[in-house]
Amino acid sequence: MNATTDTVLIEARSIEKRYPNGVLGLKRASLSVQAGEVVVIVGPSGSGKSTLLRTFNGLESITGGEIVVDGHVLHQRSADLRSLRQRVGMVFQQFNLFPHLTVLENLSLAPVKVLKLSAAAAEERARALLVKVGLSDKCDCYPSQLSGGQQQRVAIARALAMQPAVMLFDEPTSALDPEMVGEVLEVMKQLATEGMTMCVVTHEMGFARAVADRVIFMDAGEILCEDPPSAFFDAPKHERLKTFLRQIL
Amino acid sequence: MPNSTSRWLWHGLAVALLAVFGASLYIASKRIDYTWRWERIPQYLISTEGEDQKAPFDGFVAVSEDGKQLSMTALRGSETTSFTDFSRVLVSNGDLVFEGDVLAKKDQLGPGPLLIGLWLTLKISALSLVFALMLGLVVGLGRVSKNPAARDLAAFYVEVIRGTPLLVQIFIVYFFIGTVLQLSAFAAGVVALSVFTGAYVAEIVRAGIEAVPKGQVEAAQSLGLSGFQTMRHVILPQATRRVLPPLAGQSINLIKDSSLVSVMALTDLTKAGREVVSSTFSPFEVWFVVALMYLLLTGVLSIAVRRLEKRFAAQG
Repeated sequence: MNATTDTVLIEARSIEKRYPNGVLGLKRASLSVQAGEVVVIVGPSGSGKSTLLRTFNGLESITGGEIVVDGHVLHQRSADLRSLRQRVGMVFQQFNLFPHLTVLENLSLAPVKVLKLSAAAAEERARALLVKVGLSDKCDCYPSQLSGGQQQRVAIARALAMQPAVMLFDEPTSALDPEMVGEVLEVMKQLATEGMTMCVVTHEMGFARAVADRVIFMDAGEILCEDPPSAFFDAPKHERLKTFLRQIL
Repeated sequence: MPNSTSRWLWHGLAVALLAVFGASLYIASKRIDYTWRWERIPQYLISTEGEDQKAPFDGFVAVSEDGKQLSMTALRGSETTSFTDFSRVLVSNGDLVFEGDVLAKKDQLGPGPLLIGLWLTLKISALSLVFALMLGLVVGLGRVSKNPAARDLAAFYVEVIRGTPLLVQIFIVYFFIGTVLQLSAFAAGVVALSVFTGAYVAEIVRAGIEAVPKGQVEAAQSLGLSGFQTMRHVILPQATRRVLPPLAGQSINLIKDSSLVSVMALTDLTKAGREVVSSTFSPFEVWFVVALMYLLLTGVLSIAVRRLEKRFAAQG
């Protein structure tokens, strides 16, 4: 849908993740994400989809293969994770907002400390983003005073405040009460239409069908198939994907 | 939850039990034939005795009729001197006095030995607390460091200090380190107390840091914050709130532990108490008063920390 350029932002080449106890979390997973593309990763729990996503900003180390994210090369022993992470925004299942800071402070901490923006410039940027996610009236609230959906929207705004090239979403709606899922997905859809490059791990098949350019199915640490949503959902090729879709739909 | 009337009844019962306990203490003291002399205590809290006026050389004193003027003439030579700053003359006209004899006293209100001891206890506790907090923060960070050497050193320090009695540490610091580095007894006391308390503070700091959810670190790192920035802006502010109650407890322990420095010729509140006991022979009264004074220090600290906690809690 949005894949207009063919700049590759994320290129994972047969990456492998072996835990210290010998268990393989990722088996030779390869994936490339173009600028402006929305890639949704689905699969049963424990299939390694979150692990894969977390390797893209170095939260999870890899034991084999290579990842290039926005020109930064990540090997087994990666060097400059900090500059990479400034280019990759991450949204967590548990929001992970900083509870001791107000919403505005949550948004401006990294721009001030990492990008060395002035406090005024960071605040201006933060306020604009809060308008965008529909929370301009919550600037001075602490996270504990917000609902789950509001907290997750703040978390999205916090990641956007670093003006990343790619946004990673790790099950962003899984910890939410059902009535709050919609407001978060709405913000994500808006981001997608604005051309943001996104990798989303989710169980929201409706979102995958509506927004994704490609849907990836993972099971037991392997990428089993990747297809545009129509082919993925309406004509699944892989046996295990068929089973999976039968179970959840 | 009991309703409010019955709650007051229970509080009343607690007070009554305490009263019975106090009464039985009193009766017990009667049976051992102890004479309570509370009137002896106040002079050791507030002293009226002021500076002495001493004879600067051997000679004869001259005191006026009304006792308001005091002067003296040297035994050899013709040197004379007069005194002005005094309120009571202790010698008579024409007395022969020798250098250093006390001729007169100046009455003025001042702190008695117990208050002076309390002040020393306060000073040594406050100084030790400051150093213990700094030491504990550094060692606590060492305990959670990624660097194995820092972790080993921090663990070694904590284990050694927690595994030996404070009294023994005080002796080692005073007699060994104090002698090598020529520390004063006061400095040795501060060193011993800070090093001892620092080990406990380090464990509190470590626990506080480890109690901050891992997701906080991941979020901070995902935003590109450095390890130091993550610690400084994300982890420590959250850990601070968690460690306040145990730190308050540790500070109160520090004040109480400071009584052990009295073994090093330091006149803290406990040592002052011992000295007052030996001059009054009223151990019961003195130790009750000393206990009350410690309770005063720790009580004020408790209240201050509770205030601080409330302010943190208000931050949501």
